Amino acid sequence: MVKGKNEKEDIEIDAITSKGVEFGYGEQPVLFDITFTIKKEEFVAITGPNGSGKTTLLKLILGILQPRKGEIRVMGYSTKERDKIMNLIGFMPQKEHISSNFPILVRDVVMLGLGARKGIMKPTGKADEEEGIQAIKSVGLDEEIWMEKFAELSGGQQQRVLLARALAIKPEILLLDEPFNGVDIPSQNKILDLISDLRKKGVTVLLVVHNVNPLLHHIDKIMLLKNRIVAFGKPDEVLTDKNLISAYGASIPIIYCEEGYAHPVYSDIHG
Amino acid sequence: MPDMEISEVLVQPYMLRAIAGIILIAINASVAGSFTIFRNVSFLVAGASHSALAGAALFILLGVYGFPANPLIGALLFAIATAFVAGYASKEETNTAIGISFAMSMSLAILFISMIREYAAKVWSLLIGDLFLLTYEDLYLITFVTFLSLMIALLFYKAFLFISFDSEGATAFGLNTRRYNYLLLSLIAISAVMLLKGVGAILVFAMLVAPAAASNELASNLRDVFIYAFIIALVSGFVGIAISFFFEVSPGAIASLLATTIYFFSLLARRFRGD
Repeated sequence: MVKGKNEKEDIEIDAITSKGVEFGYGEQPVLFDITFTIKKEEFVAITGPNGSGKTTLLKLILGILQPRKGEIRVMGYSTKERDKIMNLIGFMPQKEHISSNFPILVRDVVMLGLGARKGIMKPTGKADEEEGIQAIKSVGLDEEIWMEKFAELSGGQQQRVLLARALAIKPEILLLDEPFNGVDIPSQNKILDLISDLRKKGVTVLLVVHNVNPLLHHIDKIMLLKNRIVAFGKPDEVLTDKNLISAYGASIPIIYCEEGYAHPVYSDIHG
Repeated sequence: MPDMEISEVLVQPYMLRAIAGIILIAINASVAGSFTIFRNVSFLVAGASHSALAGAALFILLGVYGFPANPLIGALLFAIATAFVAGYASKEETNTAIGISFAMSMSLAILFISMIREYAAKVWSLLIGDLFLLTYEDLYLITFVTFLSLMIALLFYKAFLFISFDSEGATAFGLNTRRYNYLLLSLIAISAVMLLKGVGAILVFAMLVAPAAASNELASNLRDVFIYAFIIALVSGFVGIAISFFFEVSPGAIASLLATTIYFFSLLARRFRGD
């Protein structure tokens, strides 16, 4: 989206590279042998069963956690250089982890993101507010929503406000954690359309989802995790019976839709 | 007392100190109270104010054994320790951790009191509190600490708000969530101690949490939460003083009763408004 932000731009740099990464909270590793490359402008879904390390991988990419072996680079920078990568990544957390039992307005939510990027103790001004409103419009929300209480919006609107907060800082990489939980189908489609637009503008998009079905027709690649990478590639190459068994420990029926995409029918395999 | 003119009573030093006490309590109820609601840690206020008793008892005990120290300092140390225990515990365990340190502090408080029976009244006075017994020394300390927490809250307002709303997002956006969390919880615990002498450990919860909880129901934006909480605490406090002047009852109790009643009415008001 923003060119020239990164002095390493001239050489073709991959968005995210991971080499031999291992991470664990105790002795047992949550993730091991994680090696992959995500190219610029790719749209990738990370999926796998509960406890497979999906969210841990996101935290490693954000530099919140550091690998105990190996290295992750974001636009060429090691995740140890958090100040550098913070400015490149927009993050949208799981809505369920948010507590809005107080009259925080949409404006407050979006401005927190812009404020954090600017330096949390510095004041934000009119120009920042203008950027915030632009971000709200860019996710297809009405400008009037700016002064409304976040808690009183629908699940889909809340999710889009959080997306606007991530986009307001004009990231080159967008990380979304379970963006479709508690979001109605029209809102899902709006978010997907928006992501397609962003990719055209050069943004790399990475999503963590427990169910890939709503995304299948849009994504370039799927990473199937089960504490290691079971498979990483085009959806049809990844969603095979063999891979699904090794990730989920059970056979998952696959349905082919009219357009020829393989859709896993998870039923109650998921928690 | 009632044979004095109202205007005469109002300029009595004990009355002026009580009024100053109420204003300071209202500032704490607005700043720390509102963040207690945002951060959803109201139990910390109960835990910290009771832990503070153990700290005060310990310092009184030390005084008896020849190490004189202001009991409020002991109270502050124990309250901050409770805040750190709460901050250290994971999100799911916060309330259990506060509860256990609450219980441990009460055990210590009773143990210390049993060792200094002749001074026990000093500790018990912190359990009940009395606005009319505030000394100038108390007021200076409370003013200084309240001013300090107000400055900290203004300086870190956005960080405190961000970690209360979405600590995961705050971390991802580059904030040191852990550090701000410890700072915010300590700020809340310190405010709880500031109310100790005025309203007593038992009623700190009512005066610190209820005004902000009520205003959180009524306010349409964050700024109003702080303003309404201040007004509710202030009015409750003044009514408490006024009533206790005509009838010999505890002003803190009346104030707390009023603040908690306002909370229940604000809940009803919100239901009737239909949101």
